[in-house]
Formats: sequence, C-alpha cells, structure tokens
Amino acid sequence: MSKIENEPKYMDRVHRLKNRVLGTRPEMDLENARILTESFKETEGEPLVVRKAKAFRKQCVEKTVKIWDDELIIGSSGSKMRAGILNAETCWSVLDDELETISERRYDPFYLKSEERRIFEEEIRPYWKGRSNYEEWLAQIPDDTRELRDNGVIYIDRKAVRGWGETTAGYQWLISEGVLGIVKAVKKRRAELDLTVPGDYEKDYYLKSLLIVAEGMISLAERYAEEADRLASTEKDSQRKKELLEIAGICRHVPANPARTFREALQSLYFYQISVFMEQNAASYNPGRMDQYLWPYYKSDIESGRIAVEEVQELLDCLWVKFSEPCLFQDATTAEFAAGYPMFQNVCVGGVDDAGRDAVNDLSYMIIQATMDVQLYQPSLSVRYSLAKNPNSFLRKVVELVSLGTGFPAFHNDDVGIRMLMNKGIPLREAYNWNPCGCVETNLEGRLRHYTALADINLGSMVEFGLLDGKSRKSGKYVSARTGSPEEFETYDDFVAAVKEHIQYATRAVVKANHVIDEVGMNRPVPALSFTFKECIEKAKDYAWGGAKYNTGNGIILIGVADLINSMAAVRHVVFDTKQATMAELLDALDRDFEGYEEIQKLCTDAPKYGNDDQVVDDIAGDMFTFIADEIEKYSSKFGRMTPGILPVSGNTPFGLEVGALPSGRKAWKPLADGVSPSGGTDFNGPSSVLKSVANIPHGRFVQGTLLNMKVEPAMLSTENGITQMMALLKSMCSLGVYHVQFNVIDQQKLIRAQKNPDEYRGLLVRVAGYTAYFVELGKDVQDDIIGRTIQHGISPIANRH
Amino acid sequence: MKNGSDVKGSVLRIERTSIHDGPGLRTVLFLKGCPLRCRWCSTPESQRSDPEKGYARERCIGCGVCVRSCPEGALSFSADRQKVCTDSSKCQKCFLCVAKCPQRAMKQYGSFMSVAEVVREITKDEIFFFHSGGGVTISGGEPLNQPDFTSEVLRECKERGIHTAIETALHAPWKSIEKVLPWLDVLFVDIKHMDQRNHKEWVGTGNSLIHDNIRRIDQSKYPVEIIVRIPLIPGINDSNANLLAVGEFCKSIHKLKEIELLPYHRLGVETYKNLEVDYRLKDMEPPSLERIMDRANLLSKCNMSVPVRIGGGFTGKLPDHKVKDEESSRKVGG
Repeated sequence: MSKIENEPKYMDRVHRLKNRVLGTRPEMDLENARILTESFKETEGEPLVVRKAKAFRKQCVEKTVKIWDDELIIGSSGSKMRAGILNAETCWSVLDDELETISERRYDPFYLKSEERRIFEEEIRPYWKGRSNYEEWLAQIPDDTRELRDNGVIYIDRKAVRGWGETTAGYQWLISEGVLGIVKAVKKRRAELDLTVPGDYEKDYYLKSLLIVAEGMISLAERYAEEADRLASTEKDSQRKKELLEIAGICRHVPANPARTFREALQSLYFYQISVFMEQNAASYNPGRMDQYLWPYYKSDIESGRIAVEEVQELLDCLWVKFSEPCLFQDATTAEFAAGYPMFQNVCVGGVDDAGRDAVNDLSYMIIQATMDVQLYQPSLSVRYSLAKNPNSFLRKVVELVSLGTGFPAFHNDDVGIRMLMNKGIPLREAYNWNPCGCVETNLEGRLRHYTALADINLGSMVEFGLLDGKSRKSGKYVSARTGSPEEFETYDDFVAAVKEHIQYATRAVVKANHVIDEVGMNRPVPALSFTFKECIEKAKDYAWGGAKYNTGNGIILIGVADLINSMAAVRHVVFDTKQATMAELLDALDRDFEGYEEIQKLCTDAPKYGNDDQVVDDIAGDMFTFIADEIEKYSSKFGRMTPGILPVSGNTPFGLEVGALPSGRKAWKPLADGVSPSGGTDFNGPSSVLKSVANIPHGRFVQGTLLNMKVEPAMLSTENGITQMMALLKSMCSLGVYHVQFNVIDQQKLIRAQKNPDEYRGLLVRVAGYTAYFVELGKDVQDDIIGRTIQHGISPIANRH
Repeated sequence: MKNGSDVKGSVLRIERTSIHDGPGLRTVLFLKGCPLRCRWCSTPESQRSDPEKGYARERCIGCGVCVRSCPEGALSFSADRQKVCTDSSKCQKCFLCVAKCPQRAMKQYGSFMSVAEVVREITKDEIFFFHSGGGVTISGGEPLNQPDFTSEVLRECKERGIHTAIETALHAPWKSIEKVLPWLDVLFVDIKHMDQRNHKEWVGTGNSLIHDNIRRIDQSKYPVEIIVRIPLIPGINDSNANLLAVGEFCKSIHKLKEIELLPYHRLGVETYKNLEVDYRLKDMEPPSLERIMDRANLLSKCNMSVPVRIGGGFTGKLPDHKVKDEESSRKVGG
C-alpha cells in the first residue's frame, strides 16, 4: 500500500508492524488446547464451569508469552502471531477431519506443523473423543434439519464448530473498574449466598469460577510485565528499552486496576479481548463504541498534557494492527460461508448518546483515521450515522475512508439500528447505545445474549422447491414439503403459496435445531466472557445459561434475497401476466439450465428485476420479507423470540452451488446474490434505484441486520464534487430507511490482475459481503463473485454524452 | 397543443444519479431529435426524432429469431449469412426483433413517453435531489426541438420544487425558448465554434441564431443561470483564436456562472456502428490532459469573473493518480 508523502512520523512504526502481520502465514496453534486438556485431566469431577475457569487460568499461567518488536500494545491469545486456536472441548474433531488438508485447503488454510500435529494426535484427540459440543450436536440434530443441511438448503453447523462470539462484552466496565473492581462485586454477591438454600450452591461455584478467571487474567498481565522487563534488560536501543519498561509498568496496573490513562485503557481492553478469544475461538467479539467509552481517558490525558494527539493516533494504530493478528479457525465448510479468517471484531464510531444527542467526538475521527492509516482487515470498522444529529464533517471523514477502497466502513443508519434493538425488546434508553456486531448484526454492550447468526436459509432453494414439489434439483430427493406440481398452479398466488410453504418448512426445521443448539450451549459456559456482564454476576448465571440482562432468540439468516424476488417476479411476468411461456416450458428450460432454451432464458432475464426501482417487482420484496419476518417471529426459544437477519457473509457462493437454474435467469450452480443487494449485472439504473428498491424490504424488522453491497468506481470518490454527492447519497439512503451499505471501490481490472498474480497483491483489501479480507486469500469463485458485481454506472464518468 | 401531461415526447433514455450535468445528483432526460449534426457527436442515436433501431453485428450469432419473428417480413439474412438486414421500407418499428433477440444485438433507441410517465420517473429520486441540491436536467438531442414537451416536464418539476436545467445548443426559434424559460434554473449552452464558416462546416448550421438567443436570454427578465460549455475538439475548435473569441463573447453574458470545457471523447463509436452510420472522426484521439489544462488556462486568461472548469466526466487519457474529472479545485480562472 503506497503511502503519501509527509505522513506523520509514527507511521514508520505502523508500517513495520503491519508488514510483519502481512508477511506472517496463519498457523494452527495447539498450545492452549494442550493446556486445557491437561487441566481437564486434573479437574475430573468438578463442575464444568469451574473446570473451564481452571483451564483458562492454567492457560494464562502457562501459555507462551511473547512481545513482538516495536509493539506498544501487547498480548496474544495464542503462542504465535497469526494463530488459529482450537477449542478442543467445543470441536476438536473439526481439525481431526482436516488433518491432511488444513495446511493447503482452499478457504482459510492454516499451516499445521508436524510438532503441532503430534500434540493433537497424542494428547488432544484421545482425551476429547466423544466429549465435545460438536459431537453432541451431531448426535442430536433433528432428522429433517439434517436432511435440509445435507442438501444445502440450510447451513447450521456454525455454532457447533466454534465458540460463542457475536457478542459485545462489558469493556467499559472492565476498563473503568479493573478486574479487581469486578472481583469485589463478585465477592459481594457471593457473600449474600446461603448454601442451605437450594440453588445457591450452583451460584456459589459459578461465582467461584469467575474469581478463578480473574486470577488468570491478572497473572497473565503480570507475566507480560515480566517479559517486558526481561526484554528491556537486554535491549540495546534506549528508546525501545524505555518503551518496554513503560509496557511493564502498564501491565502491572491493568487490567487488574482501573485504567488511569488512555494508553492503559487500550491495553486493558486488549488484554480482555485476548482473554475472551482464548476462552473460545469465535468470530465477532466486538469492541463496540470505542469513541464513547475511551473518551473520558482521552479527554483527561489531552487536557492534562499527558499525551499528544499524534501519540493517541499512534496507539490506536498499534492496537489496530493487533486486531489483525488473530485468525478465526473453523471447518472448511464454515470457512466457505465466511471466508477470509473473519474475526469480525467490530469497532463502531458515531451515532447518538444515551440522551439521543450527537455522540461524535474527536476520537470518532481518530478511530476512522486509524483504519485509514493501517488499512488491514481488522478491526471491522462500523459507522453509526445519525442523519439528524451527526455533523457533515463526520460524514465527510466517512466518505474519505470509503474512497480508499478498503471496503470500510460498514455504514449504518443509526435510526434503523436503534429501531432494531427496540424490536428485540430493548428499551429506547438502552437502544440508543447499540453497536453493530460482526458483520451488520446489532448488539448491546455487556447486556445482550444471542447468536446473531445461528443458521442460514437458502432462498434459492425455496423457489426451486416451489417449482419441483419440494425436490432438490441437484440431489433429486424430495426434502421439503410437497406442494404439488406447478403445472397445476392456476394463478401466481398459487405459486406464492407454495414458496411460502417451503419457507415455513425450512424455518420450522431451523427452529427445532435451534433448540438443540441452545441445549448443547448449556454445556458451554464461558466465565471469562460472562465476567463483564453485570447481570451474569447478579444472577450468578453464565452468559451461556441466559445470565445476561437481555436474552433473545437466535438469528435466522436469509440468503439469496434478490434470487427469490427476481424469480418470483419472472414467474409472474413470464408465465402468468404476459403468458409468454407456459409453466411447462419454463420448467423444461430450468431443467436443462436453459441450454437450447435461449428464448425462454431471455424472457426470464428481461423480466422486471429488483434493484431498478420498479414497483412491480419491489412490491414482491416488501410482501415476501414481511411474510418471512412474520414467520420467524412466530417462534421463540427458551431465551426469547427468534430474530431474522439478512447477511450472507460469503454464504451466497456455497449456497449457489446447491441450486439449479432459476426463473430469474440465473444459471445453475452459480452464486446467489449477496445480502439485500441486487443480483450482479441486473441493476441498470444506478445507485439511487438500488437504494430505492432495497428500501422496500422492512429493514427494521430484520433485527440481525441487512447487508447491502454497492460497488463504485473510484471516479465518484476522487473529486470534490463526487465526495459531496456521495455524502448526499448516504443521507438519502438514511432517509429511505435502508439500514446498511458498504462500498467496494476497487476496479475490476485490478481484481482480475490480483487473481492472476496474488503475490503482487498480497495487501489488497476487498469487502466480501460484510467484511474485509485479503482478496488473494479468498477462493476463486468468491473472487469471481466480487468481480462480477455490477459497477454503479450512474457515478461513473461516462454519464455525460454530448 | 395538447394539454398538460398528455403531451408525448420522443425520449432517448433517462439516466439517474448523474453528477456531471448540473448541481447535485441529477436525473437526466435525454430527448431525441437535434437540428445540428456535430461531426464529433457522441450520441448519434439522439439525432433523429423518432425511435430507431440499432444492430450490433458483432454480438449477432445468426440465430434468426429476429428474422422469423418480424411480422412485416422486413428482416433477412445477408447473402453470406454474416448479418441481418432490415428493409426500412417494410419495418414498422414495432421493435419485436429487439424484444426477441437473445444476444441483445438488436437495440431500440428511444420511445414515446408522456409527460406524466417522464415526471413519474423523475420524481422517483426526489429524496436524492433534496439531500444533494440536485434535480432534473433535460438534454438531448435538443430539448428545444420538443418545446411543448420540454416546457411541460419542466413546469411539472418546478411545481414539485425540483431544480431544473436544460442542455441545449439554442439553435431554436425564440418562441420555443420562451416556453421553457419560466421553469428553468440553469441553462447549459454549447458554444461549438465562433467562426460562422467553421460552424457551418462542422455543425451543419450557422451560429448567429445561437448567439442572438444567448444575448436575448441574458437580457430577459428570467433569472436563469447560464453555463457555457465548449466541446474541446482537437484541431477543430481548440485553437487560441477560437477559444479567445469564445472568452470574449462570454464576457458580455451577465447571467454567465461558469464555463465548462468538455474534452472530446470516443465513447459513441460503437453506436455509430450499430446505426450503420459512418463516423468521420473515428481516427481522432482525445486530447491529452496537458492539452486540456493548457486550453483551460488560456481561457481563464480572458479575465472573466466566472470559473473555467473541466467537466463532463472526462474519460480520456488522464494519468491515473493525478487528476480526475471535475475537480473543483481546478477552478483555473476567476
């Protein structure tokens, strides 16, 4: 990434740190799985949560502790820089299945050294065989759910192959009170218990487990302090020696005690971040509203002259590089659905405060600047933009970041985000404080528990089933409801009814499986994560057991939005409205993947398409997604009402492989459309039409977020006028009630070149439906999907023809 | 004249979210029909008044669907079966061949739309106009070739609070111009050549009517803003003498707000082929960035009180990293 001249001095360090991360190959790291296993052998017979806590403490006490050169913010979950951690107790067998392929697999390979493989085979596998959550899940998955899963109709293994994630811990509380402050609260609560009262015994050992976790965190920090001292004692460079001694001092103070400075606050935060990740390898532990909870530290440091603005920026940049070190480990299939080692540590700026006032401050700008400086794939930077309250200067800064073409930020419409939280049952006062989670989901710091993306439903299959009486074209098996031969459909409404029945069928299968996952999840307590959820302490109940203040049903995610809408529109237009082809002809054409049926394919592709601001087709979007939201909301888990969302990550590609030709004109086995975006190459009226069409989906009801990708040519963002118009476009999007958009500003030629010469484009960032990854680390078909997305020509330079 | 929204216009196309045709995000309504024949025209499909058909021969796979589907029997294969020929004496312009062609080799340029239909399209982007200060720009072709239609569309938009502009050559009778002025915020007018003979040679008409119209609008009671555009055509109108003459002329326009240079580009080459019209400038290269900058600097030396900008979404050979189109910082003059 070329850097401009006259960049600040601190960027020298940032470049060094960044290049080191980019030059490091992701590796499997089995050290903490080994320590956990040893600990579990020592604690047989004790309550599970205590055993988990003790294993965590042992990891903290024994793990390899390393401080890399040049670092200012330090700490790692594993023993390696870009480590994939295995949660043996959750899913040891995932690695077992992929021992031969993990180093070279297509999506997200992890290099497995023979030494690590030996540890796995000799120490980890023998102990955990038959004991993991993943095995529990596989043994209990309902039959119909399994059948849909195996036919690519739903994807639901995700939660069993990695940890919780998808949550925002109580960073603010930890930073301000320190581990010891929270320990006080735990002890106070524990003192209130009466062990003669039924239930209090369980509470007692639960709270004890929190105290064990606290000991672990404090000793881990102390070990880093010792390591810093050790390095300092041999360091020749006097400047670095000074830095190392500072690091030692900071690690002796936080996270044990309340942070006193901005830098201590950052270090405390990051210590906690590595702790929760160490406890459970999972995507989407979200630092959330850093510009808000770090503000008091920044303000007092600046006002007292303890720190200069540039130093703050350098520290933020250093932290940003740290966020890019860890790599999510997951099985090959899950990686296919979310490729790019997607850690999804979502940091958010902007929005409103707890009184609904403008919350933008200097740190909001500096956090955006950190992403502009570092340009790595993490943290996931999100913007909460309040149309009414946030200033234009902030919006402009956002557009400047967009123009770098890194895919950041994920731009969120604050009003809709607040509405989504309220629709989850959270009162407005607290909903004001929401933060984006992972991809585009919604969270609330230290108070909310749910899987935001439990399972994905393939909407392409729903159309296919409606046309095949519940049969999968690929497998030839009847796997869904039997809705009759479509040739018997007398009206378009008959077809709609059939598609809806399949959606109902898939939803029921997912809900049934959800209850199994919730049950398996009870055996997956997470004391380190729960430690900063106040109500977990108050109720002496783990996050996994519903201890958080708010609990809702898990997220059910829809994939193939445009494929569903366009297919329904095409059936209506071609078969029922204009009667240009009969249902039988259409079915034949689909069966042959349009080979020899080019005229019918043309009728299909020429039918009205979503993304063009055409009310005829957009009405279908409104109707179908109101139905889908109604349908999902009908069900509850033991934690609350189920929650819909539309965020494909990269799942639209593997789902596409399961779906034959569709009436939309899409050929068989091709990727489905991503998020709420139009299908690639089918939107012809420019970005305003896309936004108008997308606005027909009732975003506020899809409370786990809705994701819109738009690709823009650099021209829109490289001129003053373009930037101004981009700001107007974003404001218009908010007025329309669209929830989220992110822009991919990279031109197609560059992507094609990168695909051919990955070595030359190692640092090239691209946004894959919801997050940013290194383009060259993605699989070819995901790359092709990105390349094929429509360029928004309305903002290209060829609009004027004279 | 028919009344209000019943009036039909010959519309080439409607493009939304343009940032090159006036302030803000704009919907550009391209009309068909133009009294001029600029040799560099990049929109040859806008010249004739009625809808017409194009044929992209290289896309055609010779499947014959169009030949079979034509109700008039107007289509046939050439003797070598390498292309489809349309007998224009038989063609009724039903465009069924366009609808049927699986390769999209057959193209339809333009259709008739009512004022109501057009206004419905324009109002779809009202929220974008609101936030960007944008609106509608009627372009062409020549919007003044359809004065009643243009004026009705503008009036309907103005009544909805939508900012309005037209892009015209002003080669039109005053009574046509008078119809649109009450509803107009911005008027873009091309000055293609100051020399009468050259104008006739390259554009097909003289320029005195155009100049008269500009002066008359300038003196009229309507507070319309005028933006002069100069298509910068290498070797044809980019000489010092011509540009200085344009500058001199512009000095006398009181309502002038800006001068925009529109560098020549070749984006229309394919369309000429599709229409089977010979493009006489096909070997002309777009001007270099240095040349464009140099010409802009020359104009700005005319001591005008308005900025000279390079506009139009230039796609010529600009160095990648340096300057893109429409850089507001590139206000050379003023």
